[in-house]
Amino acid sequence: MSDPQASEDLALGQYVVVTARWILVAAGLVLSLWVTTDPGSQRTLQQVQISFVVLTLLAFGNFYLNLQLLRKRPALDVVAYGASAADLIVITVLIAAQGGLTSNVYIFYFPALLAISVAFSRSSTVVYTAFAILAYASTVSAGIASTFDSQTVVTRLVMFAAVAFCGHMYFAIEHDRRRDAARAREQTTAALGQR
Amino acid sequence: MQDIRTPEQEAAEDIFFGQLVIIWARWAVIAVGIMLVAWAASDLGTLTLNIVLVVALMVMNFFLHGAYTLEKPQNRGVVTVVSLLDLAVVTLIVAFWPGKQGFASPFFILYYPFILAFSLVFPRRVAALYTLAAIAAYVAVSTLAPGFDLSAEHVKTLLMRAITLAATGGLATYYWRIQRDRRRAALGVSPTRATAPKTKLSPAQS
Repeated sequence: MSDPQASEDLALGQYVVVTARWILVAAGLVLSLWVTTDPGSQRTLQQVQISFVVLTLLAFGNFYLNLQLLRKRPALDVVAYGASAADLIVITVLIAAQGGLTSNVYIFYFPALLAISVAFSRSSTVVYTAFAILAYASTVSAGIASTFDSQTVVTRLVMFAAVAFCGHMYFAIEHDRRRDAARAREQTTAALGQR
Repeated sequence: MQDIRTPEQEAAEDIFFGQLVIIWARWAVIAVGIMLVAWAASDLGTLTLNIVLVVALMVMNFFLHGAYTLEKPQNRGVVTVVSLLDLAVVTLIVAFWPGKQGFASPFFILYYPFILAFSLVFPRRVAALYTLAAIAAYVAVSTLAPGFDLSAEHVKTLLMRAITLAATGGLATYYWRIQRDRRRAALGVSPTRATAPKTKLSPAQS
């Protein structure tokens, strides 16, 4: 990406993305280890193992990105894009590991999509949101057994899109306000220079 | 350079420009409402009641969107009251919508776009209060309705939902602060001391 404005958007948006990812990792680990059903079963053991490995990998990746931010050296754009794709994949893997439609982990798509929508360009936000919607729909489709289930899934998909849309709309509004502010500053500076 | 605007003026500008996000969040929820009303109707009485509710929301949002388009957006008080009304509507849907109610209702996710949009537009304290109000309303309606018990599974699920609702509000507020500092920087005004070290770019980038 060569546009400096877009790179700056991405760099500053990374603060939100990294924070959202820490929330996912911390909440995900606590909730995965807090086993409430069939603590002695092999299936539960496998679910906890998968969650632990996946979330730990994500934590290491996020630690690297966080270090870059602390050094005021945001990571390469391609790393940021890859890490956000990994967030969506991890959430989808956890949902699949926990039984698809019955899993409650899908709500972690909301902070992830929010972070993506305020950090990335419009086309990237559309691609990531579409990916999340398709990934979730394909993961839970086998578990749909009634009309109510269908309504539930469609409502979730619409809300995924709504969160990404609203986040990116704010991103665009602020982009315009900042541009206008910069213009106003230039005009003021020019007027002062003519005096 | 010294900013000639007061914090109140800056907050009013945030609401002036940002309320479109809240309006669109409401359109998304209305779209879901239309879908559910058309899809889930079991008898004519329920269908009629639900249609009246959805149409009322649509009329209100048409008015707000129209006023915004005519560059006559609502003030802070109106936006706050209408946003609280949004929370009340979602809480009523969670409590009474046919199918599953209370803790078992899947429609608590309608809170997310409202919390996001409000927190992107309002200052931190107001946004935090709104997020807390949404979480409190949801926890109340979940725990008081039949079907919820204090089993570890229910408590865990409720906690997970509360965490993500809070995270949505918190992340939106965090981004709001980053954007406010960027705007101030574009105007040549110093950013707030509290956020400057965390959101400042290196000289090479800026």
